[in-house]
Amino acid sequence: MAILVHKKSKVLVQGITGGAGSFHAKRMIAYGTNIVGGVTPGKGGQVVEGKPVFDTVTECREATGADTSVIFLPAKFVKEAAIEAIRAGIKFVVVIPEHIPIHDMLYVRKEAVKHGATVIGGNTAGIITPGQANLGIMPDIAFTPGRVGTVSRSGSITYYVADTLTRSGYGESTCVGLGGDPILGSTFDEILQKFEEDPATKAVVMTGEIGGVYEERACDTISKMKTPVIAMIGGIFAPPGKRMGHAGAIVEGKMGTAKEKLEVLASAGAHPARTFKDIPEILSKLRV
Amino acid sequence: MRLYEYEGKKLFSEFKIPIPKGEVVSSASEAVTAAKAVGGPVVLKSQVLTGGRGKAGGIKVVENPNDVKATAEQLFNLKIKGYKVEKVLVEPKLNIAKEIYFGVTIDRLNYKLVVIVSGAGGMDIEEVAAKSPEKIHKKLYDIEEPMYGFDAIELSKKCGLDSEQTKQAAPILQGLFRLFKKYDAKLAEINPLVVTADGKLIAADSRVSLDDDAVFRHPELATMGIEKRHEEGEMTPREQQAHEWEIPYLDLEGNIGMFPGGAGFGIMGNDFIHYYGGTPANFMDSGGGPSPERIAKMLVLLDENPNVKAIFGARFGGISRCDDFAKGVIMFLKDHGLSKPMVMRMTGNMWQEGVRLFEEARKENPKMFERVEAHGIETPIEEISRRAVELAKMAEGK
Repeated sequence: MAILVHKKSKVLVQGITGGAGSFHAKRMIAYGTNIVGGVTPGKGGQVVEGKPVFDTVTECREATGADTSVIFLPAKFVKEAAIEAIRAGIKFVVVIPEHIPIHDMLYVRKEAVKHGATVIGGNTAGIITPGQANLGIMPDIAFTPGRVGTVSRSGSITYYVADTLTRSGYGESTCVGLGGDPILGSTFDEILQKFEEDPATKAVVMTGEIGGVYEERACDTISKMKTPVIAMIGGIFAPPGKRMGHAGAIVEGKMGTAKEKLEVLASAGAHPARTFKDIPEILSKLRV
Repeated sequence: MRLYEYEGKKLFSEFKIPIPKGEVVSSASEAVTAAKAVGGPVVLKSQVLTGGRGKAGGIKVVENPNDVKATAEQLFNLKIKGYKVEKVLVEPKLNIAKEIYFGVTIDRLNYKLVVIVSGAGGMDIEEVAAKSPEKIHKKLYDIEEPMYGFDAIELSKKCGLDSEQTKQAAPILQGLFRLFKKYDAKLAEINPLVVTADGKLIAADSRVSLDDDAVFRHPELATMGIEKRHEEGEMTPREQQAHEWEIPYLDLEGNIGMFPGGAGFGIMGNDFIHYYGGTPANFMDSGGGPSPERIAKMLVLLDENPNVKAIFGARFGGISRCDDFAKGVIMFLKDHGLSKPMVMRMTGNMWQEGVRLFEEARKENPKMFERVEAHGIETPIEEISRRAVELAKMAEGK
């Protein structure tokens, strides 16, 4: 088991004929991901990496039964592409590009909620269920099948956490990149809930960072979860008022400081970690 | 992208939100001419991209026209929270009977637009919200939903306006809402919206912040003279250099040069250095998939910073490739040379090729690598952090 994506997911790539789209389609296929086709308007009938290209998501879905989409398109086309996918019946959409206009993401989110679809990103490295499917740009080397789920706003942090889990023998059930943009398709609480319902996930590592409001929102879910959650927040020593990193990582007044986030998560029942090597120590104490 | 008050007011005019008839000037002598044209007592308002102008002495009422020049000179010499005053807005002084607040922003938790109104205008709205939340009224809107006239009337009434004032206020609130949507705003505020002694409503101040990522679809902003800009206060020379190279970079107070990958570990890596007893000299973000040239520039910034005693490097290649990373490091070592000790770790996408490039370059010129300690996936990043702190301490002679 896993969450959101697995061996049988039928994945299409929106923007498969582009540079990033074709490069990463090849990598995803090499990993064993079940890529069934791609969509680029005006390029229907072409073949990329052995997969058929269609003009519309609906055509692709009818021909291949695709249920999942990964978007590799310039930011300004994401709104249209994501809404097209959702309306065509795609249930899981991964938005890789960064700098998606905020208002566009509000439209995408509304459409997703309306159709019961899940969107992650923008500015995500993607999602991987080790040994089954890799959607996005994550390097295979860090990951191995296992029993701990991860959810993070940052790609590089996901790799470090997975690498730690891999080398300490826990492995990963699924690793989800929420994305670094200011408005995200999904939030920590929504992904944590999916992990809670996954029997293969015995613990979850969530890593957040300064700024925004999404980590705090997870508290209620964490307090109700049976699956233990380990929390790590970047930016504990960030000087206030300075703008670091992701567009989303802006400290809004007192709200959104890393220290505060970690404190509220801990009071909701999460186990705080300082560096990556704390993670296996905590897991071992929890007998995961 | 935060707009200056006068720019926000230009947008207000487009949506028929009444504003004072003012003029923006760049010198004290221009201020005198503008004040004459305005006539009567005027307000001189420093145009800076930060709040708290009033408290910092950046807004002056001038009753006597003879005092305009001296007061304007005073403002042009002012620095407010690191921002130099380069423009001053000259406006007629208003006879204020009442001040209210209208604002539109995004509720990120609920994925909605939120319209906020209050009868307590002219103050910091967050303070009002903290001290007297009962004075704040909110309504959430779907991004697709319009604001109807009756909605705007209902909201305006909550600010304690009478019928005649409400009739003026409702289209102002609707205008602000339309402005917010049309220009992809993150925030649009009128604070205060003044009710004058003779019963007219007028937007005395503007605060508008647009989404940088959506400016591309508003070319009309450039024709209004509104262009993309650096929003922070004054930059250090190195921040200026990094800005020109389009590398997100901040100077911090420590002595360890931080050369991480993306923003996520850029932030967390700084924490790691603190945990091991060191302090970072900077924050830096390579961005996704940096070119070798960019990698080399990042190292130049650190090597030329006299505060940096040791360099911490980390690359976990995802969208970025370790071979490009290695090429960048080698380019820097060849063209510039490393004058400080550096400990680094490289793994992820194309790491084998990165290691091969390093070995080849090292064979060719071992001296070039003298100060480089390169590690791969087998060394945990904590160990790299610890070593960087140790190297910096050794360099400081401690």
